[in-house]
Amino acid sequence: MNGKTLTWSGSPAVRMRKRLTLLVAVVALIGATVGLPGTAHASAQPHSSGVALTIPVVAPFTGVDAALGPIYETACLAATQEINLVGGVLGHQINCKTVDTRGDPADAVPAVGQMYATTKNIAFVIGCTSDEASTVVPVFGSNKTVSFCMTGESEFDAVKFPYFFRLVPPDAADAVAMVAIAKNKGYKKIALAFGNDAGSQTFVAPAEAAIAKAGNMKIVSNQTLDINATTFQSEAQAIVAAKPQVIMMEALGAAGVALLSEVYQLNGKKMIPIIGTSAMIDPTFFAGITKAVGTQNFIKNFDADNQVSTGNTPAYPLFSKLVLAQKGKVKGIGNVATLLQAPGMVHLYDAINIASLAMVMSGSTSGSVYKNDILAITAGAPGAKVVSSFAAGLAALKAHKKIQYLGVGGTYHFDAFHTSFGAFEDMHYTAAGTTVNAGTLNPALLNSLKAF
Amino acid sequence: MSSYGYYIAIILVYASVDAMACLGLSLQFGVAGVSNFGFIIFQSVGAYVAAVLSMPNASTSNGGFQKYILGWHLPWPFPWIGAALAGGLLALPFVFIVGKRLRGDFAAVGLLVSAVLLNLLATNYVPLFNGAAGISLVPAPFQSHFNPQGLSYQFAYGLVAVILTVGAYFLVKRITESPYGRSLRAMRDNDIVADSLGKDLRMQRMSVLVVGGMIAGLSGAILVEFITLWAPGAWGYAETIVLFAAIIIGGAGNHKGAVLGAILVPVGFEEVTRYLPPVGNPALVPALEWVAIGLLIVLFLWFRPDGILPERRQILSGNKNAPAPVPTAADDESDALIKIGDLHKLDLHKLLHLEPTGNDHHVIFSTKGLTKVFNGVTVVSDVSIDIQQGRLTGMIGPNGAGKSTTLAMLAGTLPPSSGQIFYEGQDITSMPSNKRALNGIVRTFQLASEFKKLTVLENLVSAIPRQSGDTFVGSMRGKRYWGAEDRANIERAQELLEGFGLTQYADSYAGGLSGGQRRLVEIMRALLAEPKILLLDEPMAGVHPNLAHRIGDQLTNLCRGGMTIVMVEHELSIMDAFCDPVIVLAEGKVLAQGTMSELRQKQEVVEAYLVG
Amino acid sequence: MSSFGFGLISAAVLAIATVGFTMQFAVTNVLNLAYGSIMINSAFVTYYVNEHGVNAWVALVGGVLTGAIASWLLNRFVYTPFQKRNLAPITVVIVSLGIDLIGTFGLQAIVGGGYVSFTQNQGREYHFAGLLLSSLQLIVMGICVAVLVGVHGLLKYTRLGKAMRATSANKNLARNSGIKTQFIISTTWLISGALCGLAGTVFAMNAGVFEATSAQLYIVLLLAAMFLGGPGEPYGAMFGALTIGLATEVSAAYINPDYKDVIAFIALIVMLMFRPFGIFGSEKTN
Repeated sequence: MNGKTLTWSGSPAVRMRKRLTLLVAVVALIGATVGLPGTAHASAQPHSSGVALTIPVVAPFTGVDAALGPIYETACLAATQEINLVGGVLGHQINCKTVDTRGDPADAVPAVGQMYATTKNIAFVIGCTSDEASTVVPVFGSNKTVSFCMTGESEFDAVKFPYFFRLVPPDAADAVAMVAIAKNKGYKKIALAFGNDAGSQTFVAPAEAAIAKAGNMKIVSNQTLDINATTFQSEAQAIVAAKPQVIMMEALGAAGVALLSEVYQLNGKKMIPIIGTSAMIDPTFFAGITKAVGTQNFIKNFDADNQVSTGNTPAYPLFSKLVLAQKGKVKGIGNVATLLQAPGMVHLYDAINIASLAMVMSGSTSGSVYKNDILAITAGAPGAKVVSSFAAGLAALKAHKKIQYLGVGGTYHFDAFHTSFGAFEDMHYTAAGTTVNAGTLNPALLNSLKAF
Repeated sequence: MSSYGYYIAIILVYASVDAMACLGLSLQFGVAGVSNFGFIIFQSVGAYVAAVLSMPNASTSNGGFQKYILGWHLPWPFPWIGAALAGGLLALPFVFIVGKRLRGDFAAVGLLVSAVLLNLLATNYVPLFNGAAGISLVPAPFQSHFNPQGLSYQFAYGLVAVILTVGAYFLVKRITESPYGRSLRAMRDNDIVADSLGKDLRMQRMSVLVVGGMIAGLSGAILVEFITLWAPGAWGYAETIVLFAAIIIGGAGNHKGAVLGAILVPVGFEEVTRYLPPVGNPALVPALEWVAIGLLIVLFLWFRPDGILPERRQILSGNKNAPAPVPTAADDESDALIKIGDLHKLDLHKLLHLEPTGNDHHVIFSTKGLTKVFNGVTVVSDVSIDIQQGRLTGMIGPNGAGKSTTLAMLAGTLPPSSGQIFYEGQDITSMPSNKRALNGIVRTFQLASEFKKLTVLENLVSAIPRQSGDTFVGSMRGKRYWGAEDRANIERAQELLEGFGLTQYADSYAGGLSGGQRRLVEIMRALLAEPKILLLDEPMAGVHPNLAHRIGDQLTNLCRGGMTIVMVEHELSIMDAFCDPVIVLAEGKVLAQGTMSELRQKQEVVEAYLVG
Repeated sequence: MSSFGFGLISAAVLAIATVGFTMQFAVTNVLNLAYGSIMINSAFVTYYVNEHGVNAWVALVGGVLTGAIASWLLNRFVYTPFQKRNLAPITVVIVSLGIDLIGTFGLQAIVGGGYVSFTQNQGREYHFAGLLLSSLQLIVMGICVAVLVGVHGLLKYTRLGKAMRATSANKNLARNSGIKTQFIISTTWLISGALCGLAGTVFAMNAGVFEATSAQLYIVLLLAAMFLGGPGEPYGAMFGALTIGLATEVSAAYINPDYKDVIAFIALIVMLMFRPFGIFGSEKTN
């Protein structure tokens, strides 16, 4: 045995030579790569006409948040289907490509490194949830890649990234909308129950602040849920004992269902009304909770805040047709019909149209050139033609008109941090698991509750 | 093509971080046998400290949106130094868990649970760690001077990471190849025996925890300032299992194996799976990755427990070319017979640096009311004996008489339930066994107690006390400091080995020797520990009678020169020939004491032992 | 007060699991860290049998059998061969961690990453002495009492139980006294495996929802309960499980549910540091 094993034997001199060879090889490799002319910034170079462009969907496709990636991918397929049909962007067809971050900020960095290594002609990036935005957004920025992110993380309220855009409000605004729904319904005693994951915890502080600002409301119980736990009897008991009129919550995965079914059991089989975040608009959650407490019982007692994305915007009919056409094309997604108002579906669809129109308008596929036109197209200008699809925008641009994009999610106005707040609505589930708008929230009310 | 540059730079950084972690773990687990199942928290704490040292004040920067402590905004390299120090400091409380009396697997469980606990606290305790969100916007080194996302910067970062990994490699190698490393490996193979030879287990374990912790802390700093985010979710206890899988596959104890394992397992698994097409449900590929890691652990431990690159056998004899023979069963008889002729020529006093002293046969070692109770059963009961200096005292008794337990209490291996032990008039009852060994009380064991994965020569040399390279500091000072002395020690051991006829096995692993040969190794090792009082537990079992008598002659010689020996032995002919006086134990009590011929006259002794 | 009720349920589930776990340690000296993965596999077997229309309490038999057979196979074909090589106990512990990964994630690969729950109702509620308990919980507690009484009877009054105790006290001595230790060890693994399967199923029933990785950290509670009562001591396990089960739930009510497991962690670490042989146990010979 001993003689045959793979040891690095030999005299010290030989070993030293091996070591030197290794060192030389490493140095040479590094030198060669660093010294290469025109390194990186592939997407900053204008792409030659006729070559297909790619939209990487950088999101979790595996791990706890694996449900998100497929939604974003569907949005990409839906939007690009229409764009490619009318000839693409500046003569380029557009493809979608998935980049799995596994929902882990550290895993996301090499994933994005690999994306740049293996993807030619990146148009822009969509996805980047709160799971990975912190680590990947700076990378996109230095590669001059425009990114549309689905993160509400507060660090993006504090630091400016020129290539970063988000079509979702900061988490703080989401939390304020939940409090506004509670105020509309006249609830005064409130319980909070948020998962201990990063995404859910960001709601807690702004919700507390908004409740304090509302004046006549008070928090009677505040629970943090370990999203990996299987039972929340103590938490449920604490909530029930506090006799709240409503529970504000976000708990992903099994935790939400487990908590609510235990609250239901402990409360003598009576639901306590729930106000969830938009992340609670989720087919798996719906399936689980209706099984636990009964469908009618659940939908009567559940509200979620959501950015307005009603079925009555002019963009909606085409959008829903395109999304439904993607049925069966993406793995790991439930019934796409239930996802027509999922934030990622709506906003990323709009994002792709906006960015594609910006490319057409600037005549360039280079992010550093067209990113300013993203602002122009969303803000609009006096006399601009309002368009609700890529085809309409393209036609208007060809006619040398100014345009403003009115998307599925309404109009978008990016602030100095490239965040678009939008309007909020109170959303309900239907018995079939789809969603309906139960009323748009009064912007004045939202403003009065805002503590930031 | 050029865009591969980023990817390569990222992989360089990640591979370096994993390789450093594996090197730290290889020192702890592979060399010293400390199963640090909580390894990942050292990396995590280092990363946290690097983050908060380099970040500006939490309440005033970036609108104060996240909470953390310190916020000193220190320039590079201070956050990294702080990370290494934090990793090292964190090791100190864990010394309580890996303290010498706890079974290795129990200690491992303690460390595992500590890791889970600390992760739970980090996830839930917002003021210190900002909760599950973790801390973002960690500054990269020199980010105000260079663009941290630039390709040259990333390569420079990768290069620094590689250089630090090479540094960590040479650090653990320097420790491993020193006499101190030999003691660490001895502890790994058999901690109780290492303890009885004077090794300070607590100190040794602490030193590897601290050094490994510092390396882990630094690796965490490298990662966190590269990805600019610290989040508790990234440091789950399962990451430790991945690192264990890496060094088991690469080769625990072979530091090149550790680096290879880091490249194959954490890096390889992460990167290769990126290129797989998505199949099945979204949980499938990651789930199968874990299954594969589990399978690799089990299969490697079964088929190739030493890993791809096994630990290298240390050739101390200088005879580097000839492969060491693997002993066969037949050697047991024949070799012992062939070579024993040399034993009587050895001048053990000179070899063992013993100054022959006069013999006054005063009571050097005694016990008063020594008692040991296990699980309510009294194994040794009220034993009071006096051992005279310069005599070879025998101890006999039937099975279960409490001989070995008494010997273990004399040596400090077991604490007595009650009673006292005196050495030169001093009460040493509570003196730990390694201290007793350093004071000259050395024992051997009834059951096989060789250090299996040390060569025969290493087994012998490891026992020599007060080696200048056998401290942590000494090992750090390098071969130039301890090399000459070690050479001399090796030569002494070789001479002894020749006397016992085992020269040809000098470079063989002791674990491969036959039973009789291993007893000889143990006797030689105990002698090299330079005992004043030598406690031998059935040293001649399995040794050829011819050789046994030669050894007996030498032991008598040693006694004549001033050594005191207590020997438990079943073979009455040995007792007859060499031991005076002989103590008879039965059912945990002293039954009689005297010369063998006196004992043969006593009815109760004959009944209790000599006949049965 | 209600937290006391939850504590009793947690303790009941934990007691069934810990007694099995500690028996395995007693006769084979193995810290079987794969225990949690066998629990959850058993729970899923019960779940799928139940999904096919079989009453959950009948389906439970499937879970119990799964636990028994899987544990027996694990000991027979993994732990025993490794132990025959005379390796350090830590090697077998690392092997058990590897097995845990295979068991847990192999299950996840098959059933997917989603969560499921037993469809059966919790049943009606009962109030007494200020406690509110569902009939499911009462059944769980009944099962627990039956198991503990059964184990007590087995150890105290049967030849098999006495042989088990002898084997755990000193394997060599037991063998020399004519006990077929190999047979005793196999039987112990079958019985403790059945307890493991039972514990896994009631754990899942009590959990409301569960997934493949649900039992991954349960091992920490098991270890805490076992070390509190003394490793390898079935009666100690009962005491440890009751203490840990109650302590975690009661502390959840008075401190903060986020930190409820902390008390178990700390108990375990303190025990390891100061009394690794348990509160009632004492040092053993080797």
